[in-house]
Amino acid sequence: MVESIVFGIGITALAGALATVAGAAENVESDIGSQGDPNSQVQLAPQMGYIHRIFNKAVAGEPPAYGLWIALGAGLAWAFLAMQINPILALVLGSSLAVFVQGVYATTAYLGRTASLAKFGQPVYVDILKSMTTVTMAHAFVAIFTTVTMCYLINAALGHPFPLPLLGIVWGIALGAAGSATGNPFYGKERQYQNQKYGAGVPIAASGNIVRFAEAGERNSLDNGWFSARLGGPASGVCFGLIVFLELWRTVLFEEVGSGWGAIVMGIIIILVFMVIDRYIEVWARKNYGPFVKPEETSS
Amino acid sequence: MTVKVEKIEGGIPHNTIMVAGLIASVILIYLTYANVLTGTAYFSFFGGLATVAALVWGSHAIKHLCSYGIGTGVPSAGMIAFGSGVIAMLFATKYGVAAPIVAVIVAAILGAIFGYLANNVLSMRIPVMIISLIELSVIGALTLMGYAAMMTGSFNLTALTTGSIAILGMSLPSYYVSFIGGALIATVFMLGAIAIQHPFNACLGPNWTQDRMLTLAAECGFLSMIVAAIMSMALIPMGAALISLFVAVIGWYYTYAKYIELSRRDAAAWLDSKPIPDVEGQ
Amino acid sequence: MSAVAAKPTAGGAMDVTATIIGIIILLVVIALTYFLVGPGLAFMALIGIIVGGILVAFGVHFVPVGGAPAAMGQAPGIATGVAMLAAGAGLAGLFGGAWAAQTTDNLLVIVVTGAVGGGLMMAITCMFVTFIYVFGMGIPNASGKVAKDPITGDTQTEYKSQGTEGHGLPFISYVGGVIGGLFGGAGGTLIYIMLLNLYNEELPGMMNALPAQVLPIAVTLAGMFAIGMFLVNAVLAAYNITGTIEGPHDPKFKRFPRAIVASAVASAVCGIVAIMIVAV
Repeated sequence: MVESIVFGIGITALAGALATVAGAAENVESDIGSQGDPNSQVQLAPQMGYIHRIFNKAVAGEPPAYGLWIALGAGLAWAFLAMQINPILALVLGSSLAVFVQGVYATTAYLGRTASLAKFGQPVYVDILKSMTTVTMAHAFVAIFTTVTMCYLINAALGHPFPLPLLGIVWGIALGAAGSATGNPFYGKERQYQNQKYGAGVPIAASGNIVRFAEAGERNSLDNGWFSARLGGPASGVCFGLIVFLELWRTVLFEEVGSGWGAIVMGIIIILVFMVIDRYIEVWARKNYGPFVKPEETSS
Repeated sequence: MTVKVEKIEGGIPHNTIMVAGLIASVILIYLTYANVLTGTAYFSFFGGLATVAALVWGSHAIKHLCSYGIGTGVPSAGMIAFGSGVIAMLFATKYGVAAPIVAVIVAAILGAIFGYLANNVLSMRIPVMIISLIELSVIGALTLMGYAAMMTGSFNLTALTTGSIAILGMSLPSYYVSFIGGALIATVFMLGAIAIQHPFNACLGPNWTQDRMLTLAAECGFLSMIVAAIMSMALIPMGAALISLFVAVIGWYYTYAKYIELSRRDAAAWLDSKPIPDVEGQ
Repeated sequence: MSAVAAKPTAGGAMDVTATIIGIIILLVVIALTYFLVGPGLAFMALIGIIVGGILVAFGVHFVPVGGAPAAMGQAPGIATGVAMLAAGAGLAGLFGGAWAAQTTDNLLVIVVTGAVGGGLMMAITCMFVTFIYVFGMGIPNASGKVAKDPITGDTQTEYKSQGTEGHGLPFISYVGGVIGGLFGGAGGTLIYIMLLNLYNEELPGMMNALPAQVLPIAVTLAGMFAIGMFLVNAVLAAYNITGTIEGPHDPKFKRFPRAIVASAVASAVCGIVAIMIVAV
């Protein structure tokens, strides 16, 4: 009994760690590709006359896109497992093929969006296509492999009833949702609009005027990758890692307590703890950042 | 996605694409029935071709709907298409050889009700909402059925829920190693849901062109077919899966090359390692 | 968005005729199911699916989503799409609920476990959104729709930066996000567990196999239908709020009765099809 719980906790910790890596890689990947909501600005900039060299890879929003990559990796891994291939090899092969699909989608998305902006003079940069796609593929591989492995552990070691592809779709969408919620503002506001006032939202009038020049030369999306890796990526990783870890932890440890109510009570306590932390941060910000000058007119 | 979508007319009319897509995908799904008649699985690849036909139609149906601005992202249209499509498709597989027809009818009813709800109860008032959701549900159901036919060689519920597993050289029946038991349906659900919305989502903008978007739709279909063919190796004989894979790779290579060529035609410029052009005069 | 802005008539008002027709369809579907399968497990499954669908659609209205402008700190809420964020939370809840269904038969425990799973996902995600806004970008939370946070009483206007509609997640939005996760998780799990019980009961007879053998089939069918219905309901609810909402204090929240009617009908129609796979 104790042994099985210790085993469960070990798997839980491993799954949480894998999820953390996955969240970080997911966010950096999507920011290099300008996927998700910051994409709207990359798309808007040429229309405002700001031609840029940023990768514009609008496959879909992050949650559906990652729903596909992870479900695909999991489905392929499941098929290889059914063909009696060694699990580790199956997971790697499945993730690699899923990354191939991701890479192809990335190229068609960039070509499609850019060609449709021809009216505004936005050219297709072949060097961007070559160098950025490979980098996003590398990050996507990390995200897909870790998440599919996590799903495999949840299914095979912790005994969740869902088959691997179904777990893939569930956790893929959750990964995209957590990563885009946490990481998007950091890239969208802080990086694309670093020329705007710090500590304030981007005025709607400034939309489209994204930063197009780097410390030296012209900015490309690799410059955005290292920026995201500074905070947005790790924060997304910790976010997704905590979601997976705490969800598994409360089930593995407290499932048997009080005929199922133990896990529920634990979950509610965790929710309340996070609520208190959130409120603390909010009050801290209100105290330290002080009120802005009252806007004269808020017609919008 | 607050990008303003401009309506561009011209090219093949939507109704032509709709009729062609519907007929082509239903006929192609029925061609997989040759598996049953001949007792092999070599005709499974027709199911994959059916998904390509359905997705080409689907991308244009999404274009038709989303050119009105539905207030939320393009991908959500793909999600509702496949959410209703999966329900209709699984129900239809009960009806044996009539399954594709039943799937079309049930999906059309579901789509009509959802369209009515969105348009009237939720007051969206988009003229093409009802017809678009009917089309999208049918496309979702046909695409999923095409994948099912391609990956199992058949489109009835028994074939989708039973497989066989080889243990020590013996082949034992198994419910776990099957299209539904192993939840491969979840993977093809996402494959289709992304492939249907991607062509329009990727090609939207002022210089949208129909042939480029439809080529991309075919490319997405064949790309999805490649991975579906690899997954089908677990369920159907290797020879049949390799035929599917071969067809898919050829189709994908052709459409991908063609798509790049069309993008090159439409792009403002095709530059390699060049700086941002000087557009001060603008 | 342009077409939506051009049609102010698509506001909060309910279309009475359409609503009545919707309710008639709902009653017809319920009566038809009763007529076809009788007052047994299958009929209870339909009721459970309808309730689950309503919970999902209602929950989506609580989730604070700002879409693309939120990523630039131009509008409050989480910077992603509403349907998919709700799906992320709801499916995380479904994961927990499906797991609990393995060890217990108590419906209440299973559904509440699913709800807490969804709430947990949103609680952590929303906390990190605030974290990024405050420590990553130095931006305090401010709502654009109300002058005072209805829960904490904090004034909002003076924290709103110039030229924006507000930013971040004020505490009311945070609570809304958690409530949305709770409802979404509960709804998704309810749909799943109702279908799972039905399929576990009916499939062995239909497929001529042992219950243990068909369990993977039942799990996948129920899980796939739960995901499909979840997405249909979430997208319909997203259409209702036209993409973005700040939370329960947003004026758009008052549109929820329409979404409840729509999702009840949609779930009933999906439900009868899902039930007829095994029942007729």
